[in-house]
Amino acid sequence: MSDSTIQHHEESRDVTFRVHRFNPQVDSKPYFDDYTIKLEKGITVLRALNYIKEHVDPTLTFRAFCQAGICGSCAMRINNMSKLACTTQVWDELDKAREPGVIKIEPLRNLPHIKDLVVEMDPLVGKMKKYSNWVDSKMPESNWGKKEFLVSEEEFLTYDKATDCILCASCVSECTILRAHKEYVSPAVLLKSYRMNADSRDGIHDQRLAGLVQDHGVWDCTHCYRCQETCVKNIPIMDAIHGIREDAIERRGTKDTSGARHAEAFMDDIEKKGRLVEATLPIRTNGLAWTLKNLLPMAVKMIIKRRTPPPPPLVKASKGIQSLRKELKEMASHVAKDHEKKSGE
Amino acid sequence: MKRYAYYQSCINEAMTREVDRSIDLWQHDLGIELVKLHESACCGGSNLDYVSPKQFALVNARNIALAEKQGLDLIVSCNTCLMTIRTAKKKLDESPALRAEVNEILREEGLEYRGTSDVRHLLWVLIDDVGLDVIRKKVKNPLSKLRIAPFYGCHILRPSSVLGKDNPLEPTSLDMLLDALGARSIPYEHKNRCCGFHTLLVAEEESLNVAAEALKEAMDEKADFIVTPCPLCHTVLDGYQSKALRHNGLKGSIPVLHLSEVVGLALGYSERQLGIKRHIVTA
Repeated sequence: MSDSTIQHHEESRDVTFRVHRFNPQVDSKPYFDDYTIKLEKGITVLRALNYIKEHVDPTLTFRAFCQAGICGSCAMRINNMSKLACTTQVWDELDKAREPGVIKIEPLRNLPHIKDLVVEMDPLVGKMKKYSNWVDSKMPESNWGKKEFLVSEEEFLTYDKATDCILCASCVSECTILRAHKEYVSPAVLLKSYRMNADSRDGIHDQRLAGLVQDHGVWDCTHCYRCQETCVKNIPIMDAIHGIREDAIERRGTKDTSGARHAEAFMDDIEKKGRLVEATLPIRTNGLAWTLKNLLPMAVKMIIKRRTPPPPPLVKASKGIQSLRKELKEMASHVAKDHEKKSGE
Repeated sequence: MKRYAYYQSCINEAMTREVDRSIDLWQHDLGIELVKLHESACCGGSNLDYVSPKQFALVNARNIALAEKQGLDLIVSCNTCLMTIRTAKKKLDESPALRAEVNEILREEGLEYRGTSDVRHLLWVLIDDVGLDVIRKKVKNPLSKLRIAPFYGCHILRPSSVLGKDNPLEPTSLDMLLDALGARSIPYEHKNRCCGFHTLLVAEEESLNVAAEALKEAMDEKADFIVTPCPLCHTVLDGYQSKALRHNGLKGSIPVLHLSEVVGLALGYSERQLGIKRHIVTA
């Protein structure tokens, strides 16, 4: 075999697309169809699907619009991970395929399924409406169109990355908590909310924040970072989620939600003992009644197995706690000065 | 003997004491010595960074500086401590101003954060420093009859910009270690997913649903055990197992082992020595 033949063999091959199919008008349950086509290296998954639709099976249904990684409409699960079909190279996916030469294509998760690879986006849009994911202008309506409403470059940098979101819903599809409860606000909506709340032109910051700290809101995120890791635009979504939490604690204090109380308990324990007092953490987070109702049976099991955390008086402070306390106090004074400086600007 | 500064996580001092107990048993067998950092403080457990970002940086700069003072890398056996302390390290390494501010305060205690000590998980040390070939040779009790479901836990994988050891969505390190111990690790979707620990006290129903899905898949795949390198994942998957399964209308049970215990078993230590009897779901 000559070198040129080998080269040709590597640059073109048969690839099987195992595609999730479901037409609710005729199918009682979903199934997979295999489409094997010959492809050249350099082809994206979307171009391959377009080829299948045009030349093999015109009934195959999927969404695609810009074909350039901008509109987000072709998000789907490729080899068990949500991504854009238009920016995903077939050859890259062949390297990741669990079955040699087979690329698995499925619809996004965590959104209602309509047909084949198409999901319903309305629940996401509904949440964006619920959490007011737009700038509600501070400028009086009478001034609209008469003058520009500028933001500084420094301000814009705080939410620059968040503005890259194309609402493809890949993060929504991979979200752990949304999978566990469909009412959860979702990473995409939290990212948008962060972006709107950081915008100085917006006038409903506190109202939006009040919504975000309710049940199924920002405190329900489980910190698994799956949203951030699967974002097709590499947006640090968890930074935005942490940004909302930081903002909530700063503006609303630590008493109004279990999430904020839980976080504050860590700070208290570190200041007092340098380590966590786990025995009372549930009580400080949710109160005694909740703890007795929800954790008593497990506490009994833990006692039997002698794996209960020690009660507060028996939690030894870490060695050097006096120095740590002094240092934390000094840093707290730095933080207070930062706030004074910020509010004076 | 390779020496490391060992960061003792709060949970290992309280609820999962068997982790440190088992590491103490076998560390010298594998040619490593973990020196406990008794002056270290709670890392903040993925909470302190938004309560007070600067105090978060200070606490963890101090934790790392304590290791640096001894010229040792900082080793942890809890995924969330790993992710949290490495996040602080990244912030300190990328911001000379923050580093200077923190060091000005730490100076009074005779400490300085220089950024010279790495922060690593015990799993990484076993693979990279001890080496899988050495481990393979030390195995006295090959776990060849066991089908093990590896459960990585999130914070040893993600965010990859902070952790960077494994592929965050297709990890292999724990599988490789289990292979060296003679066990068969089974492929299953939940191995790189979340256990639900961090919302247990805030959104309990969601956490139980998350845990139940992982447990169900491991049981469906006929695994004998789940093994995890994270004591927080263990707390949910073991301690909350019956509640999670009941909440989701599921039956059955599956024992969950710590990484340190499965290493200990392969090296010939007994279940009693390793503290496996302390688990809620009996093995």
